[in-house]
Amino acid sequence: MEFLLFLIRRILWSLLVLFGLSVVIFGIARGIPGDPARMALGPTASHEQVEDLREKMGLDRPLGEQYGLFLAGLAKGDLGRSLLTERSVNADIRDTFFATFELVLATVTLAFVFGTPLGMAAAYWKDRWPDNTIRLVALVSAVTPTFLVALLLQILAGYVLHILPTSGRMLPSISFTPDITGLMSVDGLLHGRFDVFGEALRHLLLPSVALASTAFGQITLTTRASMIDVSNQDYMEAGRAFGVPEWIRVSKYMLRPAFVPPLTILGLTFAALIGNAFVVEQIFAWPGMASYGIRTIMQKDLNAVMGVVMVSGVFYVMVNLAIDILVGIVDPRVRIRGGR
Amino acid sequence: MYQRTNGMAKMNKLGLGAYAIAALLTTTAAGSAWADTVITINTPEVFGSMDPAKISDQGDYAAAVNLYDALMTVEEGGKLVPELAESWEVSADAKEVVFKLRADARFSDGSPVEASDVVYSVERLLRINQGPANLFAGVLAPGAVTAVDAKTVKFTLSKTFAPFLATVPTIFIVNEEVAKQNEGGDDAQTWLSTNTAGAGAYLLKSPPSGAGLTLVRHKDYYGGFKEHPIDEVRYVVLPDEASVRSLAASGELTMTSAFLAPDTYKALEAMGRFNVITFDTATAFLLKLNSKVAPTDDVHIRRAIALATDYKTVREVIYPGGDLSGPLPSAFSEFLAEDLPAPTFDLEAAKAEIAKSKYAGQKIPITLGYVAGLKFEEEISLLMQSNLEQIGFVVTQQADPWNRITELASKAETTPAVNQIFFGPTYPSPDSMFYSQYHSASAGTWASMEWLLDKEVDALIEESRSNADPAALKEIYKKLQHKLVDAQSDVFLVTLRAQLAMDKCLTGYRFVPMQSVPADFTRYSWLCN
Amino acid sequence: MADVAANPPPPRRLSNAYQNWYRFSRNPTAVIGAAIVVLCVLAAIFAPLVTPYPEHVGAVVNFRARHLPPSTEYWFGTDNVGRDIFTRMVFGVRVSLQLAFVVLAIAVPVGTALGLAAGYFGGWVEIIIMRLTDIALAIPGLVLVLAVATVLKPDLVTSMAALACLWWTWHARLVYAITCQIRTQEYVEAAETLGAGTFHILFREILPNCVSALAIKTSLDCGFVILVGASLSFLGLGVQPPTPDLGTMVAAGAAYLPDYWWESILPGLGVLFVALGFNLLGDGLRDLFDVQEVR
Repeated sequence: MEFLLFLIRRILWSLLVLFGLSVVIFGIARGIPGDPARMALGPTASHEQVEDLREKMGLDRPLGEQYGLFLAGLAKGDLGRSLLTERSVNADIRDTFFATFELVLATVTLAFVFGTPLGMAAAYWKDRWPDNTIRLVALVSAVTPTFLVALLLQILAGYVLHILPTSGRMLPSISFTPDITGLMSVDGLLHGRFDVFGEALRHLLLPSVALASTAFGQITLTTRASMIDVSNQDYMEAGRAFGVPEWIRVSKYMLRPAFVPPLTILGLTFAALIGNAFVVEQIFAWPGMASYGIRTIMQKDLNAVMGVVMVSGVFYVMVNLAIDILVGIVDPRVRIRGGR
Repeated sequence: MYQRTNGMAKMNKLGLGAYAIAALLTTTAAGSAWADTVITINTPEVFGSMDPAKISDQGDYAAAVNLYDALMTVEEGGKLVPELAESWEVSADAKEVVFKLRADARFSDGSPVEASDVVYSVERLLRINQGPANLFAGVLAPGAVTAVDAKTVKFTLSKTFAPFLATVPTIFIVNEEVAKQNEGGDDAQTWLSTNTAGAGAYLLKSPPSGAGLTLVRHKDYYGGFKEHPIDEVRYVVLPDEASVRSLAASGELTMTSAFLAPDTYKALEAMGRFNVITFDTATAFLLKLNSKVAPTDDVHIRRAIALATDYKTVREVIYPGGDLSGPLPSAFSEFLAEDLPAPTFDLEAAKAEIAKSKYAGQKIPITLGYVAGLKFEEEISLLMQSNLEQIGFVVTQQADPWNRITELASKAETTPAVNQIFFGPTYPSPDSMFYSQYHSASAGTWASMEWLLDKEVDALIEESRSNADPAALKEIYKKLQHKLVDAQSDVFLVTLRAQLAMDKCLTGYRFVPMQSVPADFTRYSWLCN
Repeated sequence: MADVAANPPPPRRLSNAYQNWYRFSRNPTAVIGAAIVVLCVLAAIFAPLVTPYPEHVGAVVNFRARHLPPSTEYWFGTDNVGRDIFTRMVFGVRVSLQLAFVVLAIAVPVGTALGLAAGYFGGWVEIIIMRLTDIALAIPGLVLVLAVATVLKPDLVTSMAALACLWWTWHARLVYAITCQIRTQEYVEAAETLGAGTFHILFREILPNCVSALAIKTSLDCGFVILVGASLSFLGLGVQPPTPDLGTMVAAGAAYLPDYWWESILPGLGVLFVALGFNLLGDGLRDLFDVQEVR
């Protein structure tokens, strides 16, 4: 019951956050210099044509009214039409979102699968050589610019060894539309197209490794630090003094709270990367949402920009909610407090 | 599997690679697809709307020219040739043009192309008032196009407009019946953004998206095809040149876009599979000098900047291209003022010009604007800075994203003193170069950052537009060129020399001085088998 | 670790850590980190003296010497207009350090204070602060910074301001999460019962527990701020040329891969070098902080 209350509260707050976000992004989108009508019309358009289109786009109406229209569309899940391509923003974002989602999912999985065990191992052998080695690797990995990893991987795999593709999600010669989950690899498998599945994974490998290097380092270091912090807590000492068996101490009193910071970081990384994987998307020509967002902001494609921000906002809020719930399960004190 | 050898790459292109076979088996029903020629081309920009009434962008035009036909089209050297129309007649005062449509002209749904479709297309274009519509402002009024009979259509111009015929290829003819079926309350704009209703030689296989688009050959095209035609064209959006290279190295790329970095073409040529084609375009690369702000409001300063420009380094090292002595590139050879002197790099002469200016004897602050992220523009800007600082200028570099530049260009006060701008004709007439850049009616756009606002120039351009006599036209254009060079409206850097790489099996590229007509794939064929 | 258990429980809890850390305080990585940071700062300050071609920072072009590979004449090769990459990298460190310093000097204290307040006080304070961070974090950072920078003047100062506007939220979240955890801990409750002031509890009991996580985060952020700054420069919102900036150099050189690899990879390694230094130092600083706490 308590948990249900906690959940409801969190969901209501999330809706409020999204409302705030819509106000902020609407304000920003209107503030960007550059006339969207002129951008849409291209170089040779006359002044009359621009005015004409402004009127058609509703840009001459009061801001409040424009915001109302935007919000009404949003409530219906309709992000409107791109001012530039005339295509529905929903469709554009659907394509790009799942491309990014697939990339980020692979990234976070890589970071978690390699990061947490290494972080735990480092904490276990604290200050001995495995710890020092892992820390150094994690540190270097965390601070290596994504840029650099991406470029090095590209040179190595694309130009020197010629073993992996370095651009896009799929070979142009394979025509396949991921129409079930939107994820190229998963849909390939579901359709029984193993060629698609294989190519999708091959295309996914380099960008996700490049993107994962920072998160991997952070997760490893945070897991380690958090494990050590918790193991130094008094109740750990007390547990040891009272002769509580080690496996109970570790699994119940140590692991659970120790996972809170790495889980938080993981969630934030996941959510943040959806809208910010720009550098990797750019280098590997990944048709994702961050590139789409940057491109549309450059062209002042208002509906598309607001759409990208709202979608990554909703995603962020949802991931956060999931993380909060997960943390609540792992560490009951947070749950009780949150439900208070 | 990643093909490493050229042979494998070619096989794959022919649909014989293992994966391609798998793909074809599951996606195409037709057995004949086995021998289909499929080509893959990169494009730096995402495609916009495919609605012919809205296209203003080179990239979109490249796809649309394959989906739609116009009454006439353009060939090498800017020659106008029949397409949907088999003939046309121009009245003596050049105010009436009557087109006779081809008897066998059919839309892709099989219905005949009739005069009423032409009327509909023009009316729709004027109604929507985007894309090429501004070419006809004050020239074509609603109701100006009438159907004489089913295959004859008459254009009545509001005034004499000499370059009119050259603008006709920009009017793509839309299938009225299909468009009206999908009217959707917005004149079918939404529907036509991702669907086609044209008479072109290709159909949309997959609609434009962030990843690109695919065209497929319309086998019953009324105009017919060359031998060994291209069956399928895949445009892949690759904003980054490294991706172009890696796709080429993998054997997946057949043809590149033009205007990539020279190094990219060199790398592709070294792969052995590509021919690199080089051609002079009709696009001028200029330093547009804002005549309404300090210090470029003084003609002597403008001349000093022109003299402090190292043309040789620009043309040979930074952005290889052809000579340019005035506002008109040599592609318009007929109208070119050949007596214009070639610009020279002479810092001493530049100093002498400064001494004659009202800014003589002081440090002169100046802003150099260019497009952020374009490497060669940054290089040119640095070159200008190092030369200008030697003769007493204090330079501020101002790199801006393109959308900000278009915004800055809307006011004289915000337009930088010096601006690096490319400008090429949107229809095969010198009028496109003069009107869009130098006429007062175009002020406030990025194409006219000179802020000339010169009554005499306006008068000359107006005169050229209403003059149907070619000999007189030639004289007016020459006068215009001399006037602009005398006023040093711009620094005339270079005529663009475009390059593109094509698989050795592909032929048919011919340069045409209009938009992306060279991307019309009926002109191409595949030599290998 | 065995001797740790023998120590008495709080409030002198941290002496555990002290004893523990003291033995390992001569941590070689911390020393290396400090050395790197000092080297970078000195190089940045004395850049005109230690570089072979200080004039290459300005508007110098030498198209005959473009794209030269590393040699004894040009240690790290030359760029697309023939300027010495080593010289420009050293000057680039200057810009990067400024960027990271300004952004974090604003973001870390603000984020920490707000995170502490939200975690400790709860109620409306928590609601307002945490929803604010939710909104700020929910915006794709690059989009916001880009938008702010295009609204205002597109240069480094604007970018830094926009970055700082976003960055505090990360620290607030982190500190908040830890504070929530610590807040219910016995020793905090004990301090409350004993009548300790709010200030004391916040900064003496809770903050030290956040330090290790914050130190990691902040030191990692140094490199990240430099990198985000680089992305912005790449998009035309950073320093104006010809001023060198490491990130801009990477972005600019990437166009010439793989042939002229030194133009992007070496400045990229430069970013790595600077960021790594800060991280190693961050680790060392954490030790130092704990030591002072005990004294």
